Amino acid sequence: MERVEFQKLEFISEVFTSGFICLWHAVASWTWDAHDETCGICRMAFDGCCPDCKLPGDDCPLIWGACNHAFHLHCILKWVNSQTPQAHCPMCRREWQFKE
Amino acid sequence: MTGSSASSRKVLSKIATNRLQKELVEWQVNPPSGFLHKVTDNLQRWVIEVYGAQGTIYAGEKYQLQVDFPEHYPMEAPQVIFLHPAPLHPHIYSNGHICLDILYDSWSPAMTVSSICISILSMLSSSTVKERPEDNDRYVKNCRNGRSPKETRWWFHDDKV
Repeated sequence: MERVEFQKLEFISEVFTSGFICLWHAVASWTWDAHDETCGICRMAFDGCCPDCKLPGDDCPLIWGACNHAFHLHCILKWVNSQTPQAHCPMCRREWQFKE
Repeated sequence: MTGSSASSRKVLSKIATNRLQKELVEWQVNPPSGFLHKVTDNLQRWVIEVYGAQGTIYAGEKYQLQVDFPEHYPMEAPQVIFLHPAPLHPHIYSNGHICLDILYDSWSPAMTVSSICISILSMLSSSTVKERPEDNDRYVKNCRNGRSPKETRWWFHDDKV
């Protein structure tokens, strides 16, 4: 998955006299690493999900074309499947190929 | 001019409704210059006033565009026609149908009502003559059964106007 993950560790000060850390909470946040903020097809935020999904993240992933334009996977599939024989990128009109 | 296809339209899909609501908000915040959308509670049909740009042969004139959205917008292009009277233009038929590739073969789901409007105004503005397409009478006669322009097989041969 091409996404940026960064972790922020919050150490809880329940340190025993010996100095060992016995409890910590890991807090992670993530965002898709796309150049745009919204999907050019549904116009929903990339950090949200497409209108057919309820939860953002792995269940509603982004996908990149060979031309480097990103879309919700579900959105670009609806477009590509409606175009015969060849679909073009909605943003730049190049022949649509999924990025390897 | 609404045609049988318009009256038997299916309701908008969830994706279409969502997108149109976003486009409507975006239009209200930042409308394309030279256009006035008379908002109604019908999300599926927009009627938009077009004002001829200053310095062009349509300056001071006002026309109306009717935009009908299909169930699967934006995977499918909306149907865009001029309401009567349509501007005199080499690519606009007297029944309001517009010969413009982005409305048919070259439609992309990244386009919006706003971007369509800008293309249409640009098409109007670049015209130097007020005349109908050469095949106007033949074409309009063929459309008398209420055929949608989306059912026409268009030939796009002139990108100068």
